[in-house]
Amino acid sequence: MASSQNPAPEGPAKDEITYMRPVSNCAGCGDTKVSWSVHQGMRLFNRELGLKGKDRYRLIYAADRGCGNLQGYHTYGIVDAILCMGSGAIVGDGIKESCSEKEIVVTASGDGAYNFNISGIKFAAKNKKFGAINVIYNNFNIRMTGGQIPLEVDFDKEGPALGFEIIHVNPYRVDDNAELFKELYPRYLKKEKIMVVADGVCVLDMGKDARNAGVRMGHFKRSEECLNLQFAKERERVAREEPEKLKDLPRFKCRLCGIGLRCHALLDNDISICYGCGSCAQFPCPQDALSFEGISFSTSVSIPELTKI
Amino acid sequence: MENATFDLGRMRLSGNHAIARGTLEAGVRVTSAYPGAPISDLQGSFEQLAGNIPKTNAFTIKVGEVLDQTGYQLAAHWGTTTNEDNSVALALGAVIGKADFKKREFLTKKEWDLVYGETVFAKDEEKRIPVGSRVMTSFKHLGGNTAADALRVAVNVVPYTGGLGIASGDDRQGTSSQTMQDNKVLYAFHFRIPTLELHSPSTAHTTVKNCYRLFEELGVPFVVIMNYDLSYREDSVDTVMELDMEANHRLKGFTRDPKHLVTIGPHIRPREIKFHSKLIPLFKKKVMENFEFLGNKVTEYGAQPKAVVVVNGPFREDFRLVDDDPALKERLLNKYGDVVVIESDLVFPQPGALYEDLVSKFPIEKIFVFEEGYGRVIYLQLLDIINRRGLDVKVLDCSIPYEPRIYERFSYIDHIVNV
Repeated sequence: MASSQNPAPEGPAKDEITYMRPVSNCAGCGDTKVSWSVHQGMRLFNRELGLKGKDRYRLIYAADRGCGNLQGYHTYGIVDAILCMGSGAIVGDGIKESCSEKEIVVTASGDGAYNFNISGIKFAAKNKKFGAINVIYNNFNIRMTGGQIPLEVDFDKEGPALGFEIIHVNPYRVDDNAELFKELYPRYLKKEKIMVVADGVCVLDMGKDARNAGVRMGHFKRSEECLNLQFAKERERVAREEPEKLKDLPRFKCRLCGIGLRCHALLDNDISICYGCGSCAQFPCPQDALSFEGISFSTSVSIPELTKI
Repeated sequence: MENATFDLGRMRLSGNHAIARGTLEAGVRVTSAYPGAPISDLQGSFEQLAGNIPKTNAFTIKVGEVLDQTGYQLAAHWGTTTNEDNSVALALGAVIGKADFKKREFLTKKEWDLVYGETVFAKDEEKRIPVGSRVMTSFKHLGGNTAADALRVAVNVVPYTGGLGIASGDDRQGTSSQTMQDNKVLYAFHFRIPTLELHSPSTAHTTVKNCYRLFEELGVPFVVIMNYDLSYREDSVDTVMELDMEANHRLKGFTRDPKHLVTIGPHIRPREIKFHSKLIPLFKKKVMENFEFLGNKVTEYGAQPKAVVVVNGPFREDFRLVDDDPALKERLLNKYGDVVVIESDLVFPQPGALYEDLVSKFPIEKIFVFEEGYGRVIYLQLLDIINRRGLDVKVLDCSIPYEPRIYERFSYIDHIVNV
């Protein structure tokens, strides 16, 4: 209620202003790359069958609310439906009831939402009328979503228990994954139940693949502000073994980027062990001391670059 | 495809069976539910009719024969949906696919623009209604709490949720539930979707069928609520049953419209504003225009009424006795004098124009509201209407906040007409 201390606004309240921010995945995340492969796989599937125009199979991508799928919508526009949290799988099964025989429904969620989705996934497994392809973005390695809480899922045990065959993929192998989905769609039509687990980014694999493809990886560079990286390890040791001495140590500027990113290249100050995960590319160094040069395999806009490999 | 008409034969149906009948008459193709008293029988009937379990009663045996003969398409998911939230989520998935069209029946071109003008169907020159499978989902009153997340999303993807019916079995006395609850509050005030409390197994099917026709076109899901007693109690019914086979055999398919179906902030914020500021007023207008079509009735007793009596749900059911009993009618007139009685299944939204018309036409001084449940949903809406429109009328709450247990059931008519 308005009072002398709290006067009523003179004019009508202004609408909420929402500032657009660039949409991107966390460093190292490969989620949207899988959704791209899902669609590319459908193109290959139709091409292989020689189907054109209205005869083609169409993909309906029903997703859960999560960063990978939201990015899939924002950046590539390949998501058809995101309704409530933890409902991608069951909404997908509802869509199957009302879609045509020429439409294939793929459902997707992160590993955290997988735990919400279990009942829907179980329903999909028990549903004898339709096949199921359920994609799980297993972000545990990069500590996103399900990884935020220590709730690692053993998909190799849980998937078969629910009634699914489990296939693990590396999200960065986009072409291989497109070939895989091309092979999965006929199995969907045969009412098979398949869960594709896109495991968290593996920088070692990425670096190897990229180098094999002749891609010159990007690398971080430091300004003079970025001092004495080796000291991070010493500080960690002191904190662990002699915590009473920790207060005597001088502040270390790059503690966050070295330890927070779990980057050995930064911690050891050794650029030769950089695998180009791109984490540092997205790290907001308060001193502007760290920057990234070259191709990053972590940023979501890298698919066009990947497809050129 | 022509509608299938057949004679059900002499039969008494429970409230649950009556809703099932209305659902089938509307041509519903997909049903989902999570069982719980008193609503389990509804989906139980669909399970039997879909062939998932054996047919065990006269209603499903008789209707099942006709469904088989006519090629009626029915998918039923009960038990496999592990909770009410999943039940609604499955229903949402089934209802958002719009690959077919039907002609406008209730909307003007201008109103169509308001409802569908921002969808991918906006360029349709004939301004037809995009339609797909009609869907019914059901659960008991407490299930509404579990399903709240999915139900709220159903509002955000309007008009793609047109064709979705929700049946809520209310156990307001906790007869077979751990908690008493008046779900009219949930659906009317929280979700703000059209909500009706069905008053009789003998008329429920018609109301359900007509709700599908009207609210599908408006693009909004609707809720029918039935209390514990009426869900189980049987009543004689109209024997002629007509299945909407055209609705049941619509084209299947999914039309992409991620700006509506991907529920992210930038998409839902303007839609939420539109829902409250433009669509709900439209719903009020349309329910006013189709007040009797939705099973409501306005009756004047006497030439110069000074009072309006609103009877809803089981109060309405018991009020029917007045038409057959002159003594009760005399008691009614003794208590209120000349009176307008609004027999209403409609809970939300209440048509303000109806009350304004009555107040301008007659010297109305008081409005008495008889509704069951602690929510006082109609009473509070009428207070709002009276205040906003500046009407010089008193609104009196005459509700009973709970439902008498089924074995203690007494007629509400004395509560209405006693002096």
